[in-house]
Amino acid sequence: MKHKQFLITPNSIRLLMTGLLISSMAVLSGCEEDDPKKEDTPELITEATLTFTPTGGGTTVTVTATDPDGEGVQDLTVDGPINLVTNKAYTLTIELINGLADPSEEEYDITAEVEEEGDEHMFFFGWTNNVFSNPGGNGNIDARADAVNYNDEDSNGLPLGLSTSWTTAAAAASGTFRVVLKHQPDLKTTTSTSSTGESDIDLSFTINVN
Amino acid sequence: MMIVLSIIGQAFGQQNCRSTFSGIVVSETGAPLYGASILLATTPSSGTTTNEDGKFSFDNLCTGEYQLTIQYVGYKTKRLSVFVDKRIERTIQLEVDVTQLHEVVVKESLLNTEHAQNFSTLTEKQLAETAGKTLGESLRELPGVNTVQSGPGIFKPVIHGVHSQRILILNYGIRQEGQQWGAEHAPEIDPFVASNIVVIKDASAIKYGTDALGGVIVISPPPLPEKAVLGGSFNTVLQSNGRSGTLSGTLEGGAKGLTGFGWRVQGTAKRAGDFTSPDYMLTNTGVKELNFSVATGYHNEHKGLEVYWSHFSTTLGILKGTSVSNLDDLVNAMERTPPQYTSDFSYTIEEPRQEVSHNLLKINGHIHSSLGEWRVQYAFQNNNRKEFDIRIGSLSSIPSIDLKLNTHTVEAELETSRNNKRTTCFGMNGMFQDNNNIFGTQRIPFIPNFTSLTTGVFGINKYFFNNLTVDIGARYDYRLYNVTGYDFKNSLYKTTSNFHNASTTIGATLQLKANQVLSMNISSAWRPPHVAELYSLGTHQSAAAIEYGLLLNDTTNEVMDIDDVSFNTEQAVKWVSSYQRQWKNFTLDATVYANYIFNYIYLRPTGITQNVRGVYPYFRYTQTDALFLGADLSGIWSIDPHWSLSNKVALLRASDETNNDYLVFIPSNRYEVALRYQSVSIANSGNFFAESKVKFIDKQHRAPRTITVREFQEAIENDTDPLQGSEDNFDFMDAPDAYWLWNMSAGISLRREKVKYDFMVTSENTLNTKYREYTNRFRYYADDLGTNLLLSIKCTF
Repeated sequence: MKHKQFLITPNSIRLLMTGLLISSMAVLSGCEEDDPKKEDTPELITEATLTFTPTGGGTTVTVTATDPDGEGVQDLTVDGPINLVTNKAYTLTIELINGLADPSEEEYDITAEVEEEGDEHMFFFGWTNNVFSNPGGNGNIDARADAVNYNDEDSNGLPLGLSTSWTTAAAAASGTFRVVLKHQPDLKTTTSTSSTGESDIDLSFTINVN
Repeated sequence: MMIVLSIIGQAFGQQNCRSTFSGIVVSETGAPLYGASILLATTPSSGTTTNEDGKFSFDNLCTGEYQLTIQYVGYKTKRLSVFVDKRIERTIQLEVDVTQLHEVVVKESLLNTEHAQNFSTLTEKQLAETAGKTLGESLRELPGVNTVQSGPGIFKPVIHGVHSQRILILNYGIRQEGQQWGAEHAPEIDPFVASNIVVIKDASAIKYGTDALGGVIVISPPPLPEKAVLGGSFNTVLQSNGRSGTLSGTLEGGAKGLTGFGWRVQGTAKRAGDFTSPDYMLTNTGVKELNFSVATGYHNEHKGLEVYWSHFSTTLGILKGTSVSNLDDLVNAMERTPPQYTSDFSYTIEEPRQEVSHNLLKINGHIHSSLGEWRVQYAFQNNNRKEFDIRIGSLSSIPSIDLKLNTHTVEAELETSRNNKRTTCFGMNGMFQDNNNIFGTQRIPFIPNFTSLTTGVFGINKYFFNNLTVDIGARYDYRLYNVTGYDFKNSLYKTTSNFHNASTTIGATLQLKANQVLSMNISSAWRPPHVAELYSLGTHQSAAAIEYGLLLNDTTNEVMDIDDVSFNTEQAVKWVSSYQRQWKNFTLDATVYANYIFNYIYLRPTGITQNVRGVYPYFRYTQTDALFLGADLSGIWSIDPHWSLSNKVALLRASDETNNDYLVFIPSNRYEVALRYQSVSIANSGNFFAESKVKFIDKQHRAPRTITVREFQEAIENDTDPLQGSEDNFDFMDAPDAYWLWNMSAGISLRREKVKYDFMVTSENTLNTKYREYTNRFRYYADDLGTNLLLSIKCTF
């Protein structure tokens, strides 16, 4: 009798209901996971810095393009202009940074990534005629064969462009200076152009030579 | 019932009773009718039924004139007299009885369409003719159904101009739940599982939940066998374009001594390499697919239980030349012929590509009680999607999108019927969904993680009057979202939102004299917004465009609360009416519709933004009111028992009513004429058909304005607004020109003892016409497919 009583007490019903509730919650919470982990974002470039270092002393010129919100709607801000001295030799180095990552993180430094995958990347440059005496012309964005003095090369001996050499014109001039980084997986050759592959960066600055 | 007529013809002179009378019973289109009954008025009367090829034979008849009565369900009974002498053969054509046929179709053949007034069907035979194609491609055969396409391998069905979240796919009675939000995400279903596919064009799918704004696609496998007879089929399809091979097989049977028990196993494997346009290869468009399903069940008069498990997995290559990063790349890609990366034929599938798998486990049962029939079903779906892009360095080998979506659905309903005058169905559905980004993509996820809980209740009544059936139904649904994601700064956000609304339907079908059927349906349906529409953030690699969800702030990009924006759920009111009429040699089927969608969510071009990669237009999910008006017409003229001429016309006119603008990716008007010959040979038991089909696809004259990429660039250089101060929709390229396609096909069916062989050869785009289709998202980059020769061999036993 006692046994039967146990089955129908309000307590046992409450127990049963609680049990059901707990087990159903366990099922549901089993499906829910903890917060998603934060992804590294090694492709995100928020800052590109161009540094013109004069050979044999002088003022180093640094310009930066910054896009603080990555894929967000905010536009890129480009500072500058690039003010160079006439008739002077410069080495241009390019640095790419993902500012959304912490400087201690590997993904912060995109330059290293580009260097490592040099056989798939190439920088192209374009500028207003007469700004430089060497290389002459207007750069290799419009025609690959045009002169640019690359200081570095990839594992296949093809130019990369993280470091380049420039000599400014003897006469004062001004115009624009454009840098394009192309990603050319399996496409990079001695003749691949600035329209081959995909653009990783495409930036334009004002340049003055005085 | 049957009036037995006495012999009119008397044998005269010497009695010769060794004559044979044989023949074949066919429909108006020349299709053989299996199981038609033929009664020969002799004394005593003798009768027979036609075999699977529609054939019958009477032996040892005396010479003379006989009266014949031929009956077949769905067709008008035919009586005629035949003079029999020696060997007489006749082809007997039956006319469809529209009144009867309609009833038969609705009540018996087609699952899950009980309350629909307007639908079209892809029969088993039509499906066999599209074997080897994707689901979306097969569905294009139906008037009013189209596709939005991403290259040669990805087809999304479009019903009356709407797609993705606005149509519902019922796979074996289960709402298909995958990553359907993307225009380049095809349904994860193997069309070989189906014995028929029905497209419901009204929004009456009140039993299956929200989202059926445009219509429903119902995919039904054949019923499970109930006897211990082994059967099955094997199908091989070879295609020249893509050099593809598809193998599919089905085996089914029962168990001895256990009537009502049945099982079926089915599997499909497909491999295709690069497809080709008339002038060049479409590099990296190969496909790999492997699917299988297992079903078993038990049925008797009062109850039934079924278990079904299916697995679908595919790897889809995406035309490599569509990979662009900014507007400069896009203009290069658009102006380049052939596309970048074009190389020789290969089966290799590289980046960009998609790897998708879908698992479905379903358990359903039904039982008769004094109240009526109870039906319950539970399903678990698991959908995995990985998308690989061309990325910096070693990142190409890891997916840039990696999603896992698990869905549990539970449904229960009770259907009662009262003296064949009325049926009532009540029920409820529940759905729990969990979407997870798999860690490791090294990119801010395009859509966030979420869980969603949906519950709904419905009731629907069907009334039967003499010539009229009426359906009235309503449902109410509630959905809750819990969203966790990362914003543009890669910092965590969490939000919750909920939506609820009602759907209603009323429809009627009226059978008129002279074989006419008129039906009408007005329904209102709604859908909760998809998480992708609210929160998506990212760049589409093949579009050089950035997408922002509805809840991202215009200027700060921060995720906003849904209560702080003016958001209303999307709701459609769709009116569909169809008219069928059957003349002696002509059948007409006409459908007209109007679908007004309030708060229609779409991607609106909003501006341009610049980052270090270059300049991008950006699109934001926005709401407007949209109107879709259209008509689907089809007619079949049976010239004689062998020849028939059929016509299909699909017209559609879509507009953005709020902004007085056009919408993008709306299928243009299309027309089709097919001439078919059907031989009905008796001697060697072979059926032969040949068909020549010409399709004309008009230019989309109602396309949004064009702003070319060059114009964009010029405006940016000149510091003017490339959108010209207007948020009207735009496209980077004009809609492509109209085009003609010519397809031919021929087939023969042979029977050797218990095995039936079907051979078919098809030539698609026979003239190797160069064309681009407006609804193909890759029309910016490459021409569409060139000639394709297809060989299909099927054996059924």
